[in-house]
Amino acid sequence: MSQDASRVRPDPVIEAYKKHVDRTLLRENLKLTPDERLARLEEMDRFRDALREAGQKAFR
Amino acid sequence: MNAYRELLRALVDAGVEFVVVGGVAATVHGSARFTADVDVVYRRTPRNIRALESALAPLSPYLRGAPPGLPFVFDESTIERGLNFTLTTSLGAIDLLGEVVGAGPYEGLEAHTQVMSVLGVECRCVDLDMLIHLKRAAGRPKDLEAIAELEALREERDTGAQR
Repeated sequence: MSQDASRVRPDPVIEAYKKHVDRTLLRENLKLTPDERLARLEEMDRFRDALREAGQKAFR
Repeated sequence: MNAYRELLRALVDAGVEFVVVGGVAATVHGSARFTADVDVVYRRTPRNIRALESALAPLSPYLRGAPPGLPFVFDESTIERGLNFTLTTSLGAIDLLGEVVGAGPYEGLEAHTQVMSVLGVECRCVDLDMLIHLKRAAGRPKDLEAIAELEALREERDTGAQR
């Protein structure tokens, strides 16, 4: 099937990028449920907003 | 602030048929990358278009990046005449896709989904093989790192399953 092409024919460019993937983060995420992974994404989103606000105040 | 799960639950509660794709689907599968919106492929039937309107109209949907004050009304007629919409809502950003490169409309994705539980409700998310396929089909240079991470994730998952 077409969506399995990446398993059959590895792309050398992707393989080069893959060497730099932090697999420790992936292994930690795989221990969570999908709902917990989304909750973590929402936490990151809130953190990003807080950083942005702090940056605006600091460098105004 | 994006309330990704509340947004998905609003769609489920209204009975919308959709498949989660993009960065949120990657997160669901274990990606550590950040995303700023929810991408969903919705079924283009009259019943589903009504359900979509009913789900999102109370959330003040508006065209993302458009200047304020445009006469944009998110209703059945607008959805029928359009296909893909990039919107802001009171629960965060959402991209509604009538079709997606690499799979076409909702019907082309339906067989490549997994049911997941979000805030106690079930919704469909594209499976990891198809997500990789869609990212590759999109052909965007910015996706190269994301594809590499998803393939690494698949390897980790497969290795873990064999342990």
